[in-house]
Amino acid sequence: MAKVFIYPATSLVLSDLVERWGHEPLGAALAIRERIQTASLDSPPLQMTPEEPKKGLKWAAVEVPAGVRGRMALYGPMIEEADAAIIINDADLAFGCMGCSRTNELVMYLLRKRTDIPLLDIKYPSSEEEGIAFVASIKEFLAALGGGEDA
Amino acid sequence: MKEQPVRIAQLSCGPEHSGVQKEIYDAAAMVNAEMFFPDVTLADIRRSYDEFGLEARSGDLKLAIARAMALVEGSVEADAVFIATCFRCSEAAIVRNELRRYIHENSDLPVVSYSFTERTTSGTLLTRMEALTTIARRRALLAREKQVGTTLGVDSGSSTTKAVVMQDNEIIGTGWTPTIEVIKSAETAMESAFSEAGLKIGDMEAIGTTGYGRFLVGKNIGADLIQEELTVNSKGAVYLADRQHGEATVIDIGGMDNKAISVQDGIPGTFTMGGICAGASGRFLEMTAKRIGVDITELGAIAMKGNSKEVPMNSYCIVFGTQSLVNALAEGHSKEDVAAAACRSVAEQVFEQQLQEVDIKEPVIMVGGTSLIEGLVKEMGMLLQTDIVVPHHSQYIGSVGSALLSSGFIRGE
Amino acid sequence: MTNKMAPPPLYSGTVTKYVFIDSPNVNPQTLAIRAYEISKGIMIKETCFGLQVTGKPDEVKELIRELRKVDPAHIFVKDRGFPPGDPRRCRANLGGARPGYYGHEFESRILRYISRGLEETASRTVTVNKFEKTKMDEGKLPLEKLLEIIENEED
Repeated sequence: MAKVFIYPATSLVLSDLVERWGHEPLGAALAIRERIQTASLDSPPLQMTPEEPKKGLKWAAVEVPAGVRGRMALYGPMIEEADAAIIINDADLAFGCMGCSRTNELVMYLLRKRTDIPLLDIKYPSSEEEGIAFVASIKEFLAALGGGEDA
Repeated sequence: MKEQPVRIAQLSCGPEHSGVQKEIYDAAAMVNAEMFFPDVTLADIRRSYDEFGLEARSGDLKLAIARAMALVEGSVEADAVFIATCFRCSEAAIVRNELRRYIHENSDLPVVSYSFTERTTSGTLLTRMEALTTIARRRALLAREKQVGTTLGVDSGSSTTKAVVMQDNEIIGTGWTPTIEVIKSAETAMESAFSEAGLKIGDMEAIGTTGYGRFLVGKNIGADLIQEELTVNSKGAVYLADRQHGEATVIDIGGMDNKAISVQDGIPGTFTMGGICAGASGRFLEMTAKRIGVDITELGAIAMKGNSKEVPMNSYCIVFGTQSLVNALAEGHSKEDVAAAACRSVAEQVFEQQLQEVDIKEPVIMVGGTSLIEGLVKEMGMLLQTDIVVPHHSQYIGSVGSALLSSGFIRGE
Repeated sequence: MTNKMAPPPLYSGTVTKYVFIDSPNVNPQTLAIRAYEISKGIMIKETCFGLQVTGKPDEVKELIRELRKVDPAHIFVKDRGFPPGDPRRCRANLGGARPGYYGHEFESRILRYISRGLEETASRTVTVNKFEKTKMDEGKLPLEKLLEIIENEED
């Protein structure tokens, strides 16, 4: 089972396909779950405290806005942990954890810079034909990672 | 019975991920307000994006645009609007400014915009939230145009404490003293005002307080109205300048922070409050006066005789800025030129950092103690290319506003 | 406001998943009935799009495995950070939808294409030539070609 970073990190489709074919999707939900299940934090709604933008300094300099650094505290560790990544490139309508374009640009770049892991660059399908190509590309990519559990 | 909370619509990008959302909630709760996120659909987001025409890339900014349009079009109701985006994000700054302008021009909702860092606290946001709720909750009170009866207004500011006694729409007593101990300074200022008016505190039919020490002083003297300085000063400014109707811009360069308020019929529409750096405050002018060996009250007249462009100012920082002035004196520049350069530096900084966040509508009214420094008013006028109005008693603006508004609390009024 | 936003029970050690159903044959109610049959103490919440399920990771995994069998090409599953009804993310408290909702709304429009893809790839191996993003310099006229056109125009 491989850990596959999904972009957009909030994508239903990618989360589903990765899990369906026996791998673990690394997305926003995991990072948020970890925080809201941590007792003693009191920073609703996401339990992200002002400490998070400081943690984000590892991936973005101090002159980068707090919202970018805070989001990088969510994604940075998962980017480093990932065994593979899938990027849907035209994710223009993504919000919340994926609502900042500057963060998103940095996340994609850091994923592409990880030349040691396989990466699939893809786009959203807009027809049945493209739907088939989309699913087939992902299936093929995930199969090549090996070790997929039968979900 | 507890008042209904004021509903403040939040348009934002970033606070949840910067650890600031809780601070926003807390500040709102302190003034009995409630933040909410206007409900829109994905179809609204797409339509608003195309109609508004500002092609922001970030999803949360697209969402903010759709929410702003829902407020202006009336599909979502709110009492006030709070726009917040990350400090140092240029994309968000463009959207923030344009949304603020759009809401201000197309609705009567009070708006405040703010750019936060992870260090922003609820304390920083409190005065802004308080002003938003005051405007939403007390429109009837803010509509008052005449002072009636006998009332007292006390402005407990960070540098000075001012008191004014008013009777039948006239100022009959004033008092002024540097703020040392909040309550004692208030007592000193009140004593002067009472003695000039020939009255005592028992003669006051209503009392209002404003400024940093408003809660402490207000509680101590049993004030009827305790209100932040943004709404009080706007009201005081248009009242004294006799511009109670139509548009106006109020600028108040204070000892610790500066206020720029865009006013419509005496009620703030948009405003900013700032001053992270003392180099943009009255303090810098005090230091300049001390350095060139004159009293602060003389600085303005001296600056009027100088040419601000003669002295290069390389920094807005109060430390390095003062250094520039010292260097200029050492190089043989006149104290007149140095005084003028200091005034220009403060005016430029307020212009660059704050006046960009409100729309400058004439007349521009300058108030507060610094409005008596003619050199500063002149430099600001040159930057804004307008003749700035400085009303009589402009240094007592908060006290006058408080005395005026508190007369709404006189029994039978 | 502060009280309303106070942290709820933490559901520590649990996972929550969205189960979306986008099927001509199975509606959310039918899916819910099937889920209750096999739930074994997993918390199930019915929604307009399907279900939210909360429980221990292994139990949820097993439940999902069974649920997918109901209509494999039309059921989609995704992790959720919050447990259902969490006041920090509840629509009633926020006044509007949580931001993630719009992302789901956007992707739900393309689910039919994904379903088609799943059906097609279930039975056979589909060979895909290329389904990548468009590169920035793609589709531009090569310089030689441009010169050729200009020369022809001049003739």
